[in-house]
Amino acid sequence: MTTERPTLGSQSSLREANRGRILDAIKRFGALTQVEIADAAGLSTATVSNIVKELTANGVVTTSPVSRSGRRALQVSLARRLGLVAGVHFASRTLRIELSDLVGTVIAQQHMPLPADHRADTGMDRAALLIADLLESIGASHEELRGVGLGIAAPVDHRDGSLPVHGIQRGWDEVQIAPSMARRLDTPVFVDNDANLAALAERRFGAAQGADVAAYVYVGHGVGAGLVIDGQIFRGAAGTAGEIGHIRVVDSGAICHCGNRGCLETVVNANALVESLRATHGNLSLRDVVNQCLAGDAGCSRVVADAGLFVGVAVAALANVINPRVVVIGGELARCGDLLLDPIRNEAGRAVLRNPASPLRIVQAALGDLAPVRGATALALDSVSLTADITEVSYAN
Amino acid sequence: MPTDHRNPARDASQNPASSAVPSRASNPARDTSQNPAPSATQVVDDSDRAASSTGQVTKPSSPLPPPILSLRGVCKKFGSVRALDHVDFDIRAHEVVAVVGDNAAGKSVLAKTIAGVHPPDSGTIYLDGRPTLIPTPAAAHELGVATVFQDLALCDNLDIVANLFLGREARAYGVMKEAAMEDIARSVFGRIGARLPSVRTKVAALSGGQRQSTAVARALLGSPRIVVLDEPTSSLSVTQTAEVLNLIEHLRDLGYGVMLISHILADVQAVADRLVVMRHGRINGEAPMADVSYEDIIAAITGVPNDLTRATQRRADAARAG
Ligand SMILES: Nc1ncnc2c1ncn2[C@@H]1O[C@H](COP(=O)(O)OP(=O)(O)OP(=O)(O)O)[C@@H](O)[C@H]1O
Ligand SMILES: [Mg+2]
Ligand SMILES: [Zn+2]
Repeated sequence: MTTERPTLGSQSSLREANRGRILDAIKRFGALTQVEIADAAGLSTATVSNIVKELTANGVVTTSPVSRSGRRALQVSLARRLGLVAGVHFASRTLRIELSDLVGTVIAQQHMPLPADHRADTGMDRAALLIADLLESIGASHEELRGVGLGIAAPVDHRDGSLPVHGIQRGWDEVQIAPSMARRLDTPVFVDNDANLAALAERRFGAAQGADVAAYVYVGHGVGAGLVIDGQIFRGAAGTAGEIGHIRVVDSGAICHCGNRGCLETVVNANALVESLRATHGNLSLRDVVNQCLAGDAGCSRVVADAGLFVGVAVAALANVINPRVVVIGGELARCGDLLLDPIRNEAGRAVLRNPASPLRIVQAALGDLAPVRGATALALDSVSLTADITEVSYAN
Repeated sequence: MPTDHRNPARDASQNPASSAVPSRASNPARDTSQNPAPSATQVVDDSDRAASSTGQVTKPSSPLPPPILSLRGVCKKFGSVRALDHVDFDIRAHEVVAVVGDNAAGKSVLAKTIAGVHPPDSGTIYLDGRPTLIPTPAAAHELGVATVFQDLALCDNLDIVANLFLGREARAYGVMKEAAMEDIARSVFGRIGARLPSVRTKVAALSGGQRQSTAVARALLGSPRIVVLDEPTSSLSVTQTAEVLNLIEHLRDLGYGVMLISHILADVQAVADRLVVMRHGRINGEAPMADVSYEDIIAAITGVPNDLTRATQRRADAARAG
């Protein structure tokens, strides 16, 4: 299939679209020959060669000669200026990794499912190997990697990247994540809570752009929040700022893993959500609940809406304390859109002090599941340029 | 692009999820009415589901959809080796069942029984609740069971498209044009989310993960409902493992029933909905993945009695009692 579909747009918008398809293909595979790009992007080789020439001239891509099945070809990869950083996100059930150049252009990405209760040693080993493979896939040397930002779904003491509160990521308690990941990669590593990083990313590139006070609320396997004030992550004294999952929302509710009673996270977490559907729907995963909610299933929609009501209570409490310009809702359940957000808005609206100068805005995350890994990349970029070569010495051991 | 609407295999291959497993993919609870009532044998054998399925099979009263494929009391001997010893096993649409166990536990023989390579000596295989014989691999193929064996059986010197249609041109794909075959190949890879730059790449040049994807794509061309994967991630790098695990998640979301045989527990725990532990040809434990710990799994594999094996034993006893 080497024919381009005719489009209604002008010549230049067609060319723009083709440029996008070519860049997407290169990002997805790291580096490709022009023939492979043509195939992956569904374009003719002539079109590809034309656009690659233009992109090379503009410094967006670079080409190098390779041999494929005995024939010579031009391999195309994204140009990387000054070096590379990696963003890593250990979510509850997914590991995501992306490589970017030092101006923040994403060059390659990878993700993989993780076990529930994943463990630090295998997790960090796998992440390090994936980063090495991604570097190789774009033909980059290890020396080009200047730093790594890493987000994890637990409160973080961001000085050494250890977890001050045990029992949330049980496989990661007692681990000093920053130094042990830095040893594996031989490069500085900066660690933060994933909701904090998602907040940073939504503030810079997503739904909270320009907001002086922004909150990001994760709703999925659990609940947590990240706060960005005047462009800076607000972590509190030692990393537990924004842990709204432990606001009490059920007076005589169940005991939480934290030891308190009736925390938001006792009613909004993956197990609780699928458990309430087990009698009618059988064994569902959290992803199934979201997919079926979007497909119009009444039971799944109800479970999501009820989760929204509980989250709304905590969002109001948060808003009464920090008066955010905008609250961004992310996480697996946020994919349900207004089916989750409307109940949050309604419930929060009933418990927040109304301020006509800044009405509470509650919006869906613009970066979706990528928000935390984007934030991890941003953290790496900020830290690398701030700390220059000093940390490299301190982590090299 | 020419489209041959008279060719059912080709049409089906463009959308196996919607044609092969209609509404279960989007809503497992809703469509019990579309399947025949489980046979009497099955109800007696499966005490868990008996109560709900004997009552009102046409209403969505049972939380679990009936299995596509069930084995009951299946035995297989090789000389004096009991490779399968009274095995009960179910696969439902839209789930990943992991089968783990020590070397020689009988995992591959179980896969080959379902794949028609080793028909059982005794016991019954039910397909949609009806007793069914799977005497040959061709029969398994017809019945919607696709198996990817560990050796993958790909031809290194041919490209991906040629491998996909190898041995099939003569049948369903008769006079298909090369371009049409490329289109189908691309659409299968697109649907399973496989990362393959060009479908004209020689298989010899592919990574382990890409070879696995190619073998899976080849299996999916027959529009199966069940995909059996025997050790798909053993001997793969982490990147290739990532590709294969993403692929398995994707197959599940498309509505396929996936049987994943693996000895890599991290991979099993990452993607499986249900876990079955085999030991010496028997089922030595079965549970939803969320309910079992790493330690329980190891104990069941090595034969130390624990919660997992005891619960399975109780269910088996109850089933025998009546
Ligand atoms: N074709 C055959 N002929 C004779 N014996 C066989 C045959 N296939 C399997 N067996 C025997 O059946 C038993 C179960 O073998 P199977 O291949 O199913 O083990 P497995 O669980 O897949 O182990 P592994 O983890 O090593 O792959 C073994 O004792 C094996 O030697
Ligand atoms: Mg085997
Ligand atoms: Zn709590």
